[in-house]
Amino acid sequence: MKKNNSILLSTPYILWMLAFTLIPLGVVAYYALTDPATGAFTLGNLKDLNLYWGVLWESILYSLISAFICLLLGYPVAYYIAHQGVVAQKILYMLVMLPMCMSFLLRTLAWVGLLQDTGIINSILDAVGIGRMQLIRTPGAVVLGMVYNYLPYMILPLYSTIVKINPRLIEAAEDLGCNTFQVFRRVTLPLSVPGILSGITMVFVPAVSTFYISQKLGGTDTVLIGDVIERQFKQGNNPNLGAALSLVLMILVFVCTGIMNRFGADEEGGVIA
Amino acid sequence: MKKANRILTIVMFIFLYIPMAVLIVASFNTGKDIAHFEGFTLHRYVELFQDEHLLQLLRNSLVISILSTATATAFGTIAAVGIHNLKPKMRKVVMSLTNIPMTNPDIVTGVSLSLLFVFVGTKMLGQRDALTFWTLLIAHITFNLPYVILNVMPKLQQMDNSLQDAAMDLGCTPMQAFFKVTLHEIMPGIVSGAIMAFTMSLDDFVISYFVSGLDFVTLPVEIYSYTKKPIQPKIYAMFTLLFLLIFVLMVTMNLLQIRADRTKGVRRAKADSRTMRTFKRVAAGAAALLLALVSGYLIIFARPQETVTLNVYNWGQYIADGSDDSMEVIKEFEARYPHIKVNYSTYDSNEIMYSKLANGGITVDLIIPSDYMIARLIQEDMLLKLDFDNIPNYQYIDENFKNTSYDPENEYSVPYTWGTVGILYNTKYVDEADVTGWELLWNEKYSGKTLMFGNSRDAFGIAQYLLGYDVNTTDREELQRCADKLRQQKPVLQQYVMDEIFATMQNEEAWIAPYYAGDCLTMMEENENLAFYLPEDQGFNLFIDAMCIPTCAKEKEAAETFINFLCDPEIAGANMDWICYGTPLSAAKEFMDPDMVNDPVTYPDDAVLANGTSYAYLPEEISRYVEGLFMEVRNG
Repeated sequence: MKKNNSILLSTPYILWMLAFTLIPLGVVAYYALTDPATGAFTLGNLKDLNLYWGVLWESILYSLISAFICLLLGYPVAYYIAHQGVVAQKILYMLVMLPMCMSFLLRTLAWVGLLQDTGIINSILDAVGIGRMQLIRTPGAVVLGMVYNYLPYMILPLYSTIVKINPRLIEAAEDLGCNTFQVFRRVTLPLSVPGILSGITMVFVPAVSTFYISQKLGGTDTVLIGDVIERQFKQGNNPNLGAALSLVLMILVFVCTGIMNRFGADEEGGVIA
Repeated sequence: MKKANRILTIVMFIFLYIPMAVLIVASFNTGKDIAHFEGFTLHRYVELFQDEHLLQLLRNSLVISILSTATATAFGTIAAVGIHNLKPKMRKVVMSLTNIPMTNPDIVTGVSLSLLFVFVGTKMLGQRDALTFWTLLIAHITFNLPYVILNVMPKLQQMDNSLQDAAMDLGCTPMQAFFKVTLHEIMPGIVSGAIMAFTMSLDDFVISYFVSGLDFVTLPVEIYSYTKKPIQPKIYAMFTLLFLLIFVLMVTMNLLQIRADRTKGVRRAKADSRTMRTFKRVAAGAAALLLALVSGYLIIFARPQETVTLNVYNWGQYIADGSDDSMEVIKEFEARYPHIKVNYSTYDSNEIMYSKLANGGITVDLIIPSDYMIARLIQEDMLLKLDFDNIPNYQYIDENFKNTSYDPENEYSVPYTWGTVGILYNTKYVDEADVTGWELLWNEKYSGKTLMFGNSRDAFGIAQYLLGYDVNTTDREELQRCADKLRQQKPVLQQYVMDEIFATMQNEEAWIAPYYAGDCLTMMEENENLAFYLPEDQGFNLFIDAMCIPTCAKEKEAAETFINFLCDPEIAGANMDWICYGTPLSAAKEFMDPDMVNDPVTYPDDAVLANGTSYAYLPEEISRYVEGLFMEVRNG
């Protein structure tokens, strides 16, 4: 009776997810393999992909750099929050969450106001006599936009992992003669690997597929794969090539997360927030 | 080490909050530029609450996120219970299915769902508007479900199964056992899943951007098009209010939780009455959820039927909107025809409009494309013939705007504006001696300060004028050479733009840009350093934009009423005063500002106009070829 029940309860869900996640991916594959003008079967779109390997590579590079910077900046923050009192932890956690709830379009736009040639930072630099600098429309600006937008995605899983580390393990390491640095390297860091992996994934995936950040903060030479996909659909009227590019992006992300999971397999499994 | 950590944490929080502070400060700024604070005002907040369109969008966003959260929470919780009891192998399969939307990039999820809806809706079911409120809701439910499942599942796993057995031993039916025991145990998971789903749904841009049609749009999607145009500061006011609201909500939730944690000990003592109370609370929660669901869906169904919704899809900045003391044309129309409600959306190039129409799945009743695009739409059977009995004001259209090359029999279109394409430049930074022709856009002296058209036809047109080719060439070799020319220009460019040009030229972030004369005049009114130049010797584009009804239209008669309204000389005059383009109605000039009528930017001499050429229809394969070349230029 229980078994019947469970099938009864889960079947609608399984059907829903098949209909709206798996089948759509099939439709994407169908579009990727058909000609935009005639609708006939073709491998032309896949051939056209050759033009975009450079863009894809660049997107991976930008998002890996961003994920790495997020890790460097986010780890100490997560560590600090995890070592506060209960109330302070709650408040700080909330302050990390809050930006994620606000429109990321407008927050990115604020960076345009800060970074542009006639923007706030340059006005200040000019006023103090340093002179204006090229800040916006550089690769650095795109990375900055990614780090800014996705830093909370790094901090939150790191925090959840670090906060769960048993303080007795650290005491034990200290008793056995480790100094602070050794404790960190031999106990805290290895135990936070699941958080690190999940944080990197959570930064990498949205960063590698973004198009808004590069459109607003990048120049004519910082084109990312997300931009190309967006443009094929919304402007170029070539959903077929857009579909082929989406497939490539999806495979890339699945491979990357697969590798991450393989790394984390020995640990207690990925932790999502 | 500890101190360094503390300092870094503080610095990171400043980093996270500075952009938001900038937006909040901007909401009190009398000036429009986010980077320059000119004075304090609260007027933006007044403007915000007067803007029905913006409030409607906020309502749309709330409706979608509340309905999708409620549905996903109920559906997901039931499913989680089912999945929990599945055989381990099966459970693993289902969980990896659940993980697909979580690991897939949003853009892929959005693209795949929109392709699915359009494919099933238009190709299999023959529906015209496949992308509606319902498909958007389905998309939101789909990406919300995993959040609920992933939050509820761990709670189910932690739960002691014998609790449920005990309940049944004591005489509960399985249903009662679920409501009295299980639901109570997994409640924290349900709540946190629902909260996550709600915030994700409310703030979702990427998926909604791909999945929504034109008649039901959420706030983030519209904000995206707002951030292209010169952004209206009332958006900052809305951001500030939302920030405060979410801040207060989060603080209250935290305080409640802290208090609950403290009183937990006391409550344990009253365990007897707890079960009953919890049961009541759960029942109340379930009832509220059900009520929210039912009433929400009812609200959607019970939209007033007697009004007609007219979907107008027009260029950005292309109708007087009430700013700068202009007439608010749409409001005026709705006042005169109370049974018609206008749903207005914008595009920023003919190509974007075409993609949206050609991809299908949407309803549009009125569009205003340019000449060459009209010819293409007619050729591809995408326009309806107009019923001129409903457009008596057509009589005011000047004779030289009738029987045009794109619509020789006057069947499909009614001219809206005409104009030229020239170069807008900032006299403060650009040396007049350099302003000699289209080559100014290639001048390395102004590297990083030059903008270029973000659409293929206008960009190729400029290269063609510069290289001395026919602008309507179908010679692939010539087009290839144009693409090479455009590729050469890329290092000099600041960005490819369309509507973004307004903000960047006005605040002097960029100094040189090719654009439509009417818009150039609008920008010149905002910044007196700007000047307009028409490369007469090399040639320039002379265009007509006209109102058409696409085949996907549902409200043809209302659209014709709207066309007729816009051809009323008095309305057209007021409208043209604001958009600054040339009017094809001489009768409207009477109602216009005399300075406008005599402005040489919008109305050059006939001798000058003689050097202009129009873009004509290009065969479909050539259009695709040009589009492909332009994509390569931009992406390569």
